[in-house]
Amino acid sequence: MKAPSSGASQGGVRRALQSSAVRALAALAFVFLLGLVFNADGSFLRWSTHRDMLRHISVFGILACGMTVVIITAGIDLSVGSLLGFTAVFFSLLSLQWGWPPGLAVPAALLAGAACGLASGGLIARFRIQPFIATLAMMVFARGMAKWISGGRKISTAVQLPDGSFQYKGVPGFFQSLNSKLLGENIAVVTLIFLACVVLTGVLLAKLRPGRHLYAVGGNEEAARLSGVPVGRTKLLAYGLSGFLCAVAGICQAAQEQQGDPVAGSTYELTAIAIVVIGGTNLMGGKGGIGLTLIGAMTIGYLEKILSINAVGEAPRLMLTGLIIVGAVLFQRVRK
Amino acid sequence: MTARTIGWAGLMGAAFVLGACQDRTSSSDTTGPAARAGRPARWTVGMSQCNLGEPWRVQMNRDIEASAAEHPELKVVYKDAQNDSLRQRSQIEEYIGAGVDLIIVSPKEAAPLTAPVAAARAKGIPVIVLDRRVLGEAFTCFIGADNKRIGRAAGEWVVRRLGGKGKIVELKGLMTSTPGQDRNSGFREGIRDSGLEVVFEADMKWLEPDARKEMESALARFPKIDLVYAHNDPGAHGAYLAAQAAGREKNILFIGVDGLPHEGRAYVAQGLLEASFEYPTGGREAVETALKILNGEAVPKEITLASRVFTRENVAAGGEWLKRP
Repeated sequence: MKAPSSGASQGGVRRALQSSAVRALAALAFVFLLGLVFNADGSFLRWSTHRDMLRHISVFGILACGMTVVIITAGIDLSVGSLLGFTAVFFSLLSLQWGWPPGLAVPAALLAGAACGLASGGLIARFRIQPFIATLAMMVFARGMAKWISGGRKISTAVQLPDGSFQYKGVPGFFQSLNSKLLGENIAVVTLIFLACVVLTGVLLAKLRPGRHLYAVGGNEEAARLSGVPVGRTKLLAYGLSGFLCAVAGICQAAQEQQGDPVAGSTYELTAIAIVVIGGTNLMGGKGGIGLTLIGAMTIGYLEKILSINAVGEAPRLMLTGLIIVGAVLFQRVRK
Repeated sequence: MTARTIGWAGLMGAAFVLGACQDRTSSSDTTGPAARAGRPARWTVGMSQCNLGEPWRVQMNRDIEASAAEHPELKVVYKDAQNDSLRQRSQIEEYIGAGVDLIIVSPKEAAPLTAPVAAARAKGIPVIVLDRRVLGEAFTCFIGADNKRIGRAAGEWVVRRLGGKGKIVELKGLMTSTPGQDRNSGFREGIRDSGLEVVFEADMKWLEPDARKEMESALARFPKIDLVYAHNDPGAHGAYLAAQAAGREKNILFIGVDGLPHEGRAYVAQGLLEASFEYPTGGREAVETALKILNGEAVPKEITLASRVFTRENVAAGGEWLKRP
């Protein structure tokens, strides 16, 4: 597992983060232990269960990567679930119904996602609208676009002809490959995409100059501005990247559902935020890292999986999830 | 610190206001095709739909539209209450104020809409209530389907299909909702006294990604599953995709409920689902009943819609009607 590193100039931050990582790992280990105890007749002991957990959490994890970058700038992005829905519908429309090849449909969907993210970023950087409000507006707007371009229906391989009858197209090979598994059926393709997103954002945050700017803006915006950090451009980068990653997640979602659902991704923003926070990235900004988010994603993923293989009912499941999120976050704050 | 706290409180307040608008994105006032036909319509019908967020309700409006298009004497005005009982209440009041000739309402909830429907009746406007009920008797005609009966028919069908023996996974809608409870209890009645055993059941909240996740767990736990009964077709489709990913889709049968043309029926026609049990929208029946009322004919107080089962053999021919009890 990749050790989180801040890339921040302060030396103390690195040490604090390392202890954050240890705590995040401890929470993950605790949930994992629960799985070993409540293993549902040995289901938890099979690799396929873990592979399926990683597949399920991948889409949320990809959203959480963008969310991490945004939260490090002391912002928040509430639009990620809606943008996932919009890009899933847009991508399905292009490839399933209009027959665009993936070489065109994928960049088009990625561009659409990035453009929406940049629009939120523009409102925040240029017009000084609170991130909470700007991305809330984008959340509502993008859901509207998803419903508008789809007419409220799922965009699938069943194409309605003018006379009302249906024509069934095959599922494109690109959808099949994204929905398949690699390395001897041992890992889902979407999980590899999630890991690629982790590496991409990890390199940005830890190694590149814009990454340091992200931490600087989140730590103290005024100080960053005075020391010559391009604050506006840095915020644009954060929200644009988040929008781009939403589109990556949207494409993965569409491939896994083999259709574009205009209500896909509802409340996913909350799961993405929970993943980031459980990992230990600070909502106040300036601190955190992508490794923490990876651990947070696995913690949430295992929690859901354990509740699912034990067929725990909906009501106790919601209550347990709430309790464990609070527990994990409190645990993060324990001072030694 | 205090200023920041107040700031956050303000933001949360704004979030509630805006968040409440999240689903209010469909056009709220549109005019039906009859109005575009050129000839002046003789009657105006006001339709209030509780929300257009669900494909099934989108289909209901389309069924009404398609049926009304065959009758140029009807003009149908549509309003979407966006899942808000009070908004739906004011829509009915708007229709009363506008003096429409008839109101069709598919209520979100019974209690808050009983009074406005009664007010319309008091003004002499006939009201057809679709799918969900209002309290009391102050309406003209109720049209709806019976989830429990559909669940039972699905159960009996499964008993016949599997020869009375087998292991079943049940992917439930939302067990806090009436359709979820009825599709569950009806199905259990249908398979009672048979050798069928429900080995795994989980709430998938009507959502396809959740159904896929729960099915993965069922597959992990049980090496042998004969059939998956999902409370809606997207759930059955999600379960199919999970089984396909595990290479086990050929050994399992999948059945769902709703039978929408572009969902359940399409999945059956594509050979993914074994069967889909129709939960009819009643859109066409509502328009036919409206015409009868407007022409002064008598209509029954309650119409229970018949539903069909779509299987691979009969889907092209339009399905097979389930027998009435």
